Amino acid sequence: MAFRAALTARRLHRWIGLVVGVQALVWTLSGLYMVAIDLDIIHGDHLIRTEAPRHARLGDVADPLRAARAVPGGDGVRLLWLGDRPVYAVSAPAGPVILDARTTAPVAPPTEDEIRSIAAERFNGDAGIVEVDLLQEVPFEIRGRTAPLWRVRFEGWNKPTLYFSATTGELLSRRHELWRVFDFLFGLHIMDYGERENPNNMLLRVFSWAALTLTLTGAWLLLYSFPRRRRRRPQA
Amino acid sequence: MRVSSLTLRRVHKWIGLIIGIQLILWTLSGAVMSTLDHETVAGGPAATPEPPALPDRSAWPDVARRLGGGDVVRVALRPFLDGHVYEVWTSDGPKLFDVASGEPVSIDAALAQRVAIAGHGGAPRVRSVTPLAELELAVREHELPIWRIDFDDEGNSSFYVSGVDGRLLERRNDTWRTWDFFWMLHNMDYSARTSFNHPLIVLVGFAALWLAITGFWLLFRTAWRPDFRVLLRRFSKF
Repeated sequence: MAFRAALTARRLHRWIGLVVGVQALVWTLSGLYMVAIDLDIIHGDHLIRTEAPRHARLGDVADPLRAARAVPGGDGVRLLWLGDRPVYAVSAPAGPVILDARTTAPVAPPTEDEIRSIAAERFNGDAGIVEVDLLQEVPFEIRGRTAPLWRVRFEGWNKPTLYFSATTGELLSRRHELWRVFDFLFGLHIMDYGERENPNNMLLRVFSWAALTLTLTGAWLLLYSFPRRRRRRPQA
Repeated sequence: MRVSSLTLRRVHKWIGLIIGIQLILWTLSGAVMSTLDHETVAGGPAATPEPPALPDRSAWPDVARRLGGGDVVRVALRPFLDGHVYEVWTSDGPKLFDVASGEPVSIDAALAQRVAIAGHGGAPRVRSVTPLAELELAVREHELPIWRIDFDDEGNSSFYVSGVDGRLLERRNDTWRTWDFFWMLHNMDYSARTSFNHPLIVLVGFAALWLAITGFWLLFRTAWRPDFRVLLRRFSKF
Protein backbone atom coordinates (compact mmCIF):
# COMPACT_ATOMS: atom_id res chain seq x y z
CA MET A 1 0.00 0.00 0.00
CA ALA A 2 2.78 2.39 0.99
CA PHE A 3 4.52 1.41 -2.21
CA ARG A 4 1.49 2.31 -4.28
CA ALA A 5 1.07 5.63 -2.48
CA ALA A 6 4.72 6.44 -3.02
CA LEU A 7 4.35 5.62 -6.68
CA THR A 8 1.29 7.84 -7.03
CA ALA A 9 3.03 10.72 -5.24
CA ARG A 10 6.09 10.33 -7.44
CA ARG A 11 4.04 10.23 -10.64
CA LEU A 12 2.00 13.28 -9.69
CA HIS A 13 5.09 15.22 -8.65
CA ARG A 14 6.83 14.38 -11.91
CA TRP A 15 3.98 15.28 -14.20
CA ILE A 16 3.16 18.53 -12.48
CA GLY A 17 6.89 19.24 -12.50
CA LEU A 18 6.94 18.67 -16.22
CA VAL A 19 4.25 21.31 -16.68
CA VAL A 20 5.49 24.00 -14.26
CA GLY A 21 9.21 23.13 -14.23
CA VAL A 22 10.41 25.98 -16.42
CA GLN A 23 8.27 28.49 -14.55
CA ALA A 24 9.57 27.14 -11.21
CA LEU A 25 13.07 27.96 -12.42
CA VAL A 26 11.92 31.41 -13.51
CA TRP A 27 10.23 32.02 -10.14
CA THR A 28 13.25 31.08 -8.08
CA LEU A 29 15.71 32.98 -10.29
CA SER A 30 13.62 36.14 -10.50
CA GLY A 31 12.70 35.89 -6.82
CA LEU A 32 16.32 35.56 -5.83
CA TYR A 33 17.28 38.64 -7.86
CA MET A 34 14.47 40.67 -6.35
CA VAL A 35 15.36 39.86 -2.74
CA ALA A 36 19.14 39.90 -3.15
CA ILE A 37 19.44 43.53 -4.28
CA ASP A 38 18.31 46.15 -1.82
CA LEU A 39 15.08 47.78 -2.93
CA ASP A 40 16.43 51.27 -2.27
CA ILE A 41 19.17 50.59 -4.80
CA ILE A 42 16.60 49.27 -7.28
CA HIS A 43 14.61 52.48 -6.76
CA GLY A 44 17.75 54.45 -7.59
CA ASP A 45 17.88 56.42 -4.34
CA HIS A 46 21.66 56.50 -4.66
CA LEU A 47 21.41 58.27 -8.02
CA ILE A 48 19.89 61.37 -6.51
CA ARG A 49 21.40 64.03 -4.35
CA THR A 50 19.01 64.97 -1.56
CA GLU A 51 18.03 68.59 -1.71
CA ALA A 52 18.14 70.75 1.36
CA PRO A 53 14.67 72.21 1.88
CA ARG A 54 14.45 75.72 0.52
CA HIS A 55 12.87 78.57 2.37
CA ALA A 56 10.77 81.38 1.04
CA ARG A 57 9.65 84.43 2.96
CA LEU A 58 5.91 84.37 3.28
CA GLY A 59 5.83 88.10 2.59
CA ASP A 60 7.55 87.56 -0.77
CA VAL A 61 5.13 85.11 -2.34
CA ALA A 62 1.72 86.03 -3.69
CA ASP A 63 -1.62 84.64 -2.55
CA PRO A 64 -1.81 81.11 -4.06
CA LEU A 65 -5.50 81.71 -4.72
CA ARG A 66 -4.55 84.48 -7.13
CA ALA A 67 -2.38 81.97 -9.00
CA ALA A 68 -5.23 79.45 -9.13
CA ARG A 69 -7.61 82.10 -10.48
CA ALA A 70 -5.12 83.09 -13.17
CA VAL A 71 -5.40 79.66 -14.82
CA PRO A 72 -8.68 78.43 -16.36
CA GLY A 73 -9.93 75.52 -14.24
CA GLY A 74 -7.03 76.05 -11.83
CA ASP A 75 -7.68 73.96 -8.76
CA GLY A 76 -4.54 73.25 -6.75
CA VAL A 77 -1.35 75.25 -6.30
CA ARG A 78 2.10 74.20 -5.06
CA LEU A 79 5.20 76.26 -4.44
CA LEU A 80 8.28 74.99 -6.31
CA TRP A 81 11.67 76.29 -7.27
CA LEU A 82 12.82 76.63 -10.83
CA GLY A 83 16.49 77.28 -10.37
CA ASP A 84 16.50 80.01 -7.73
CA ARG A 85 13.13 81.35 -8.64
CA PRO A 86 10.05 80.46 -6.56
CA VAL A 87 7.19 79.44 -8.83
CA TYR A 88 3.63 78.28 -8.36
CA ALA A 89 2.65 75.10 -10.19
CA VAL A 90 -1.09 75.31 -10.81
CA SER A 91 -2.89 72.07 -11.59
CA ALA A 92 -5.59 72.44 -14.22
CA PRO A 93 -7.60 70.13 -16.49
CA ALA A 94 -5.35 70.97 -19.45
CA GLY A 95 -2.21 70.09 -17.49
CA PRO A 96 -0.09 72.01 -14.99
CA VAL A 97 0.97 75.61 -15.59
CA ILE A 98 3.74 77.51 -13.82
CA LEU A 99 3.56 81.11 -12.68
CA ASP A 100 6.03 83.34 -10.94
CA ALA A 101 5.27 82.97 -7.22
CA ARG A 102 5.93 86.65 -6.55
CA THR A 103 3.95 88.20 -9.37
CA THR A 104 1.80 85.29 -10.66
CA ALA A 105 2.98 86.23 -14.16
CA PRO A 106 3.39 83.27 -16.55
CA VAL A 107 6.83 81.67 -16.58
CA ALA A 108 8.24 80.00 -19.69
CA PRO A 109 8.76 76.25 -19.22
CA PRO A 110 12.38 75.25 -18.56
CA THR A 111 14.66 75.22 -21.59
CA GLU A 112 16.96 72.34 -22.49
CA ASP A 113 19.89 74.21 -20.95
CA GLU A 114 17.98 74.73 -17.73
CA ILE A 115 17.04 71.05 -17.63
CA ARG A 116 20.70 70.14 -18.19
CA SER A 117 21.81 72.21 -15.25
CA ILE A 118 18.97 70.96 -13.01
CA ALA A 119 19.84 67.38 -13.97
CA ALA A 120 23.55 67.85 -13.30
CA GLU A 121 22.68 69.36 -9.93
CA ARG A 122 20.34 66.55 -8.87
CA PHE A 123 22.42 63.65 -10.19
CA ASN A 124 24.66 62.10 -7.57
CA GLY A 125 27.96 61.33 -9.24
CA ASP A 126 30.27 62.78 -11.81
CA ALA A 127 29.04 60.92 -14.90
CA GLY A 128 28.43 63.18 -17.87
CA ILE A 129 25.16 63.64 -19.70
CA VAL A 130 24.87 61.53 -22.85
CA GLU A 131 21.61 62.76 -24.22
CA VAL A 132 18.70 65.08 -23.41
CA ASP A 133 15.33 64.56 -25.12
CA LEU A 134 11.96 66.23 -24.89
CA LEU A 135 9.42 63.40 -25.07
CA GLN A 136 5.80 63.73 -26.07
CA GLU A 137 5.09 60.09 -25.29
CA VAL A 138 5.66 58.41 -21.96
CA PRO A 139 8.30 55.66 -22.19
CA PHE A 140 7.30 52.23 -20.89
CA GLU A 141 9.77 52.37 -18.03
CA ILE A 142 7.91 55.26 -16.40
CA ARG A 143 4.40 54.19 -17.41
CA GLY A 144 1.70 56.02 -15.50
CA ARG A 145 3.34 59.44 -15.77
CA THR A 146 2.16 62.24 -18.01
CA ALA A 147 3.93 63.76 -21.00
CA PRO A 148 5.53 66.04 -22.03
CA LEU A 149 8.72 65.32 -20.14
CA TRP A 150 12.46 65.56 -20.42
CA ARG A 151 14.63 62.46 -20.42
CA VAL A 152 18.25 62.95 -19.39
CA ARG A 153 20.58 60.03 -19.93
CA PHE A 154 23.87 59.74 -18.09
CA GLU A 155 27.04 57.80 -18.80
CA GLY A 156 27.73 54.58 -16.96
CA TRP A 157 27.32 50.82 -17.19
CA ASN A 158 23.94 51.06 -15.47
CA LYS A 159 22.65 53.75 -17.85
CA PRO A 160 21.17 56.11 -15.25
CA THR A 161 18.26 58.12 -16.62
CA LEU A 162 16.42 60.98 -14.95
CA TYR A 163 13.00 62.21 -16.01
CA PHE A 164 11.79 65.78 -15.49
CA SER A 165 8.43 67.41 -16.03
CA ALA A 166 8.52 69.62 -19.13
CA THR A 167 6.27 72.20 -17.46
CA THR A 168 7.68 72.45 -13.96
CA GLY A 169 11.19 71.00 -14.32
CA GLU A 170 10.49 68.74 -11.33
CA LEU A 171 12.31 65.44 -11.06
CA LEU A 172 9.64 62.83 -11.79
CA SER A 173 11.54 59.58 -11.77
CA ARG A 174 14.89 57.86 -12.17
CA ARG A 175 15.78 54.57 -13.78
CA HIS A 176 18.89 52.45 -14.24
CA GLU A 177 19.80 48.99 -15.49
CA LEU A 178 19.28 47.22 -12.16
CA TRP A 179 15.74 48.62 -12.05
CA ARG A 180 15.13 47.61 -15.67
CA VAL A 181 16.23 44.03 -14.97
CA PHE A 182 14.08 43.99 -11.81
CA ASP A 183 11.05 45.19 -13.75
CA PHE A 184 11.60 42.61 -16.49
CA LEU A 185 11.99 39.81 -13.94
CA PHE A 186 8.95 40.99 -12.01
CA GLY A 187 6.94 40.64 -15.23
CA LEU A 188 8.23 37.08 -15.59
CA HIS A 189 7.53 36.40 -11.89
CA ILE A 190 3.86 37.37 -12.17
CA MET A 191 3.66 36.01 -15.73
CA ASP A 192 2.29 39.29 -17.06
CA TYR A 193 4.39 39.74 -20.16
CA GLY A 194 2.64 42.90 -21.34
CA GLU A 195 2.08 45.61 -18.76
CA ARG A 196 3.87 43.70 -15.98
CA GLU A 197 1.36 44.76 -13.37
CA ASN A 198 -1.62 42.39 -13.32
CA PRO A 199 -1.08 39.58 -10.80
CA ASN A 200 -4.58 38.27 -11.49
CA ASN A 201 -3.97 36.95 -14.99
CA MET A 202 -5.28 33.47 -15.70
CA LEU A 203 -1.86 32.09 -16.62
CA LEU A 204 -0.42 32.99 -13.21
CA ARG A 205 -3.51 31.70 -11.41
CA VAL A 206 -3.28 28.30 -13.11
CA PHE A 207 0.49 28.00 -12.72
CA SER A 208 0.60 29.16 -9.12
CA TRP A 209 -2.09 26.72 -7.96
CA ALA A 210 -0.33 23.99 -9.93
CA ALA A 211 2.90 24.95 -8.18
CA LEU A 212 1.17 24.50 -4.83
CA THR A 213 0.22 20.95 -5.82
CA LEU A 214 3.85 20.48 -6.88
CA THR A 215 5.17 21.43 -3.45
CA LEU A 216 2.45 19.46 -1.67
CA THR A 217 3.13 16.29 -3.65
CA GLY A 218 6.83 16.94 -3.04
CA ALA A 219 6.18 17.03 0.70
CA TRP A 220 4.10 13.85 0.43
CA LEU A 221 6.93 12.23 -1.46
CA LEU A 222 9.38 13.14 1.28
CA LEU A 223 7.55 10.70 3.55
CA TYR A 224 8.82 7.84 1.38
CA SER A 225 12.17 9.32 0.41
CA PHE A 226 14.27 8.59 3.46
CA PRO A 227 15.61 5.13 4.29
CA ARG A 228 13.52 2.83 6.42
CA ARG A 229 16.44 1.63 8.50
CA ARG A 230 15.80 4.47 10.87
CA ARG A 231 12.34 3.27 11.69
CA ARG A 232 13.62 -0.13 12.76
CA ARG A 233 16.15 1.23 15.16
CA PRO A 234 13.89 1.64 18.23
CA GLN A 235 13.11 -2.09 18.16
CA ALA A 236 16.69 -3.02 18.98
CA MET B 1 31.14 15.96 -16.01
CA ARG B 2 28.15 13.76 -15.60
CA VAL B 3 26.12 14.11 -12.45
CA SER B 4 24.43 10.89 -11.49
CA SER B 5 20.68 10.77 -11.12
CA LEU B 6 21.16 9.51 -7.59
CA THR B 7 23.14 12.61 -6.62
CA LEU B 8 20.55 14.88 -8.20
CA ARG B 9 17.77 13.05 -6.40
CA ARG B 10 19.62 13.23 -3.08
CA VAL B 11 20.32 16.95 -3.37
CA HIS B 12 16.72 17.51 -4.44
CA LYS B 13 15.16 15.66 -1.54
CA TRP B 14 17.46 17.07 1.12
CA ILE B 15 16.87 20.65 0.02
CA GLY B 16 13.19 19.80 -0.14
CA LEU B 17 13.30 18.48 3.40
CA ILE B 18 15.06 21.55 4.75
CA ILE B 19 13.09 24.32 3.05
CA GLY B 20 9.93 22.38 2.26
CA ILE B 21 7.68 24.30 4.63
CA GLN B 22 8.71 27.68 3.21
CA LEU B 23 8.29 26.33 -0.30
CA ILE B 24 4.73 25.32 0.47
CA LEU B 25 4.17 28.77 2.00
CA TRP B 26 5.61 30.45 -1.11
CA THR B 27 3.44 28.54 -3.53
CA LEU B 28 0.36 28.81 -1.30
CA SER B 29 0.76 32.57 -0.76
CA GLY B 30 1.58 33.13 -4.43
CA ALA B 31 -1.53 31.25 -5.48
CA VAL B 32 -3.73 33.15 -3.02
CA MET B 33 -2.33 36.53 -4.05
CA SER B 34 -2.87 35.78 -7.73
CA THR B 35 -6.46 34.88 -6.90
CA LEU B 36 -7.37 37.92 -4.76
CA ASP B 37 -8.50 40.76 -7.01
CA HIS B 38 -5.70 43.32 -6.87
CA GLU B 39 -7.99 46.31 -7.33
CA THR B 40 -10.06 45.27 -4.32
CA VAL B 41 -6.82 44.76 -2.41
CA ALA B 42 -5.88 48.35 -3.26
CA GLY B 43 -9.19 49.59 -1.84
CA GLY B 44 -11.48 49.37 -4.88
CA PRO B 45 -12.36 52.23 -7.22
CA ALA B 46 -11.70 55.59 -5.56
CA ALA B 47 -14.48 58.12 -5.20
CA THR B 48 -13.93 61.11 -7.49
CA PRO B 49 -15.95 63.99 -6.07
CA GLU B 50 -16.55 67.11 -8.17
CA PRO B 51 -13.87 69.67 -7.31
CA PRO B 52 -15.38 72.55 -5.33
CA ALA B 53 -15.42 76.01 -6.90
CA LEU B 54 -12.65 78.39 -5.87
CA PRO B 55 -13.76 80.69 -3.05
CA ASP B 56 -14.58 84.31 -3.92
CA ARG B 57 -12.83 85.66 -0.89
CA SER B 58 -9.26 85.13 0.16
CA ALA B 59 -7.98 85.45 3.70
CA TRP B 60 -4.32 85.14 2.67
CA PRO B 61 -3.23 88.36 4.42
CA ASP B 62 -4.71 87.00 7.68
CA VAL B 63 -2.86 83.71 7.20
CA ALA B 64 0.41 85.54 6.57
CA ARG B 65 -0.19 87.63 9.67
CA ARG B 66 -0.94 84.57 11.79
CA LEU B 67 2.33 82.99 10.68
CA GLY B 68 4.22 86.17 11.38
CA GLY B 69 5.41 86.43 7.78
CA GLY B 70 8.38 84.18 8.51
CA ASP B 71 10.16 81.54 6.50
CA VAL B 72 8.12 78.79 4.89
CA VAL B 73 9.28 75.55 3.31
CA ARG B 74 6.17 74.72 1.34
CA VAL B 75 3.05 76.54 0.36
CA ALA B 76 0.04 74.93 -1.28
CA LEU B 77 -3.58 75.52 -2.04
CA ARG B 78 -5.71 72.42 -2.34
CA PRO B 79 -9.34 71.33 -2.41
CA PHE B 80 -10.46 70.03 0.95
CA LEU B 81 -13.97 68.62 1.41
CA ASP B 82 -16.33 71.27 0.01
CA GLY B 83 -13.84 74.14 0.15
CA HIS B 84 -10.16 74.88 -0.20
CA VAL B 85 -7.34 75.12 2.31
CA TYR B 86 -3.94 76.73 2.38
CA GLU B 87 -1.28 74.29 3.50
CA VAL B 88 1.78 76.08 4.79
CA TRP B 89 4.87 74.23 6.02
CA THR B 90 7.08 76.03 8.46
CA SER B 91 9.94 74.40 10.32
CA ASP B 92 7.27 73.12 12.77
CA GLY B 93 5.50 71.10 10.07
CA PRO B 94 2.35 71.82 8.09
CA LYS B 95 -0.53 74.02 9.13
CA LEU B 96 -3.90 74.20 7.39
CA PHE B 97 -6.00 77.33 7.04
CA ASP B 98 -9.41 77.80 5.51
CA VAL B 99 -8.94 79.86 2.34
CA ALA B 100 -12.06 81.96 2.78
CA SER B 101 -11.94 82.62 6.52
CA GLY B 102 -8.24 82.28 7.30
CA GLU B 103 -9.14 80.19 10.36
CA PRO B 104 -6.70 77.39 11.24
CA VAL B 105 -8.11 73.97 10.36
CA SER B 106 -7.20 71.18 12.74
CA ILE B 107 -8.06 67.65 11.81
CA ASP B 108 -10.38 66.49 14.58
CA ALA B 109 -12.50 63.34 14.67
CA ALA B 110 -15.44 64.98 12.89
CA LEU B 111 -13.31 66.31 10.00
CA ALA B 112 -11.40 63.03 9.67
CA GLN B 113 -14.73 61.22 9.43
CA ARG B 114 -15.93 63.60 6.69
CA VAL B 115 -12.72 63.01 4.72
CA ALA B 116 -13.16 59.25 5.01
CA ILE B 117 -16.82 59.34 3.95
CA ALA B 118 -16.00 61.58 0.97
CA GLY B 119 -13.31 59.10 -0.07
CA HIS B 120 -15.61 56.11 0.35
CA GLY B 121 -18.12 57.04 -2.31
CA GLY B 122 -20.91 54.85 -0.91
CA ALA B 123 -23.16 55.76 2.00
CA PRO B 124 -21.71 53.48 4.66
CA ARG B 125 -22.44 53.51 8.37
CA VAL B 126 -19.46 54.62 10.42
CA ARG B 127 -18.71 52.19 13.18
CA SER B 128 -16.05 54.16 14.98
CA VAL B 129 -13.50 56.95 14.67
CA THR B 130 -10.34 56.47 16.72
CA PRO B 131 -7.01 58.22 16.96
CA LEU B 132 -4.17 55.73 16.63
CA ALA B 133 -1.93 55.54 19.66
CA GLU B 134 0.69 53.69 17.64
CA LEU B 135 1.17 52.70 14.02
CA GLU B 136 -0.72 49.65 12.81
CA LEU B 137 0.36 47.28 10.05
CA ALA B 138 -2.18 48.94 7.76
CA VAL B 139 -0.34 52.27 7.94
CA ARG B 140 3.16 51.04 8.67
CA GLU B 141 4.66 53.36 6.08
CA HIS B 142 3.06 56.51 7.45
CA GLU B 143 3.54 58.68 10.48
CA LEU B 144 1.32 59.53 13.43
CA PRO B 145 -0.99 61.28 14.17
CA ILE B 146 -3.53 59.24 12.23
CA TRP B 147 -7.30 58.76 12.59
CA ARG B 148 -8.83 55.39 11.84
CA ILE B 149 -12.40 55.34 10.59
CA ASP B 150 -14.06 51.93 10.66
CA PHE B 151 -16.99 51.41 8.33
CA ASP B 152 -19.82 48.93 8.59
CA ASP B 153 -19.62 47.88 4.95
CA GLU B 154 -19.13 44.72 2.95
CA GLY B 155 -15.34 44.63 3.28
CA ASN B 156 -15.21 45.87 6.90
CA SER B 157 -13.24 48.84 5.59
CA SER B 158 -10.93 50.89 7.74
CA PHE B 159 -9.87 54.22 6.28
CA TYR B 160 -6.92 56.13 7.67
CA VAL B 161 -6.78 59.91 7.62
CA SER B 162 -3.69 61.96 8.43
CA GLY B 163 -4.17 64.00 11.57
CA VAL B 164 -1.69 66.51 10.20
CA ASP B 165 -2.90 67.46 6.75
CA GLY B 166 -6.25 65.64 6.53
CA ARG B 167 -5.27 63.50 3.56
CA LEU B 168 -6.81 60.07 3.12
CA LEU B 169 -3.77 57.83 3.61
CA GLU B 170 -5.04 54.29 3.13
CA ARG B 171 -8.24 52.42 2.33
CA ARG B 172 -8.01 48.96 3.85
CA ASN B 173 -10.53 46.13 3.81
CA ASP B 174 -10.78 42.40 4.56
CA THR B 175 -9.39 41.46 1.15
CA TRP B 176 -6.35 43.61 1.83
CA ARG B 177 -5.96 42.05 5.31
CA THR B 178 -5.96 38.55 3.81
CA TRP B 179 -3.62 39.63 1.04
CA ASP B 180 -1.24 41.28 3.50
CA PHE B 181 -1.04 38.14 5.64
CA PHE B 182 -0.06 36.06 2.62
CA TRP B 183 2.31 38.81 1.45
CA MET B 184 4.06 38.44 4.81
CA LEU B 185 4.38 34.69 4.22
CA HIS B 186 5.65 35.32 0.70
CA ASN B 187 8.44 37.71 1.64
CA MET B 188 9.24 35.99 4.94
CA ASP B 189 9.27 39.29 6.76
CA TYR B 190 7.41 38.06 9.78
CA SER B 191 7.67 41.19 11.89
CA ALA B 192 7.57 44.54 10.14
CA ARG B 193 6.34 43.36 6.72
CA THR B 194 8.18 46.23 5.09
CA SER B 195 11.28 44.72 3.56
CA PHE B 196 12.06 41.64 1.55
CA ASN B 197 15.81 42.22 1.49
CA HIS B 198 16.90 40.14 4.46
CA PRO B 199 19.51 37.36 4.66
CA LEU B 200 17.01 34.61 5.55
CA ILE B 201 15.00 34.96 2.35
CA VAL B 202 18.14 35.25 0.21
CA LEU B 203 19.47 32.04 1.75
CA VAL B 204 16.22 30.11 1.37
CA GLY B 205 15.75 31.58 -2.10
CA PHE B 206 19.20 30.36 -3.09
CA ALA B 207 18.35 26.87 -1.83
CA ALA B 208 15.04 27.00 -3.69
CA LEU B 209 16.88 27.87 -6.88
CA TRP B 210 18.95 24.70 -6.49
CA LEU B 211 15.83 22.73 -5.75
CA ALA B 212 14.35 24.01 -9.00
CA ILE B 213 17.54 23.32 -10.96
CA THR B 214 17.93 19.77 -9.72
CA GLY B 215 14.19 19.16 -10.12
CA PHE B 216 14.27 20.45 -13.67
CA TRP B 217 17.38 18.40 -14.41
CA LEU B 218 15.68 15.29 -13.06
CA LEU B 219 12.91 15.73 -15.60
CA PHE B 220 15.46 14.60 -18.19
CA ARG B 221 16.37 11.54 -16.12
CA THR B 222 12.85 10.34 -15.76
CA ALA B 223 11.52 7.23 -17.43
CA TRP B 224 8.30 8.71 -18.78
CA ARG B 225 7.29 5.64 -20.76
CA PRO B 226 5.94 3.51 -17.90
CA ASP B 227 3.90 6.49 -16.71
CA PHE B 228 2.54 6.90 -20.22
CA ARG B 229 1.51 3.28 -20.33
CA VAL B 230 -0.32 3.64 -17.02
CA LEU B 231 -2.08 6.73 -18.28
CA LEU B 232 -3.08 5.04 -21.54
CA ARG B 233 -4.43 2.05 -19.67
CA ARG B 234 -6.47 4.28 -17.36
CA PHE B 235 -7.94 6.22 -20.24
CA SER B 236 -8.77 3.16 -22.32
CA LYS B 237 -11.10 2.05 -19.53
CA PHE B 238 -13.41 4.96 -20.19
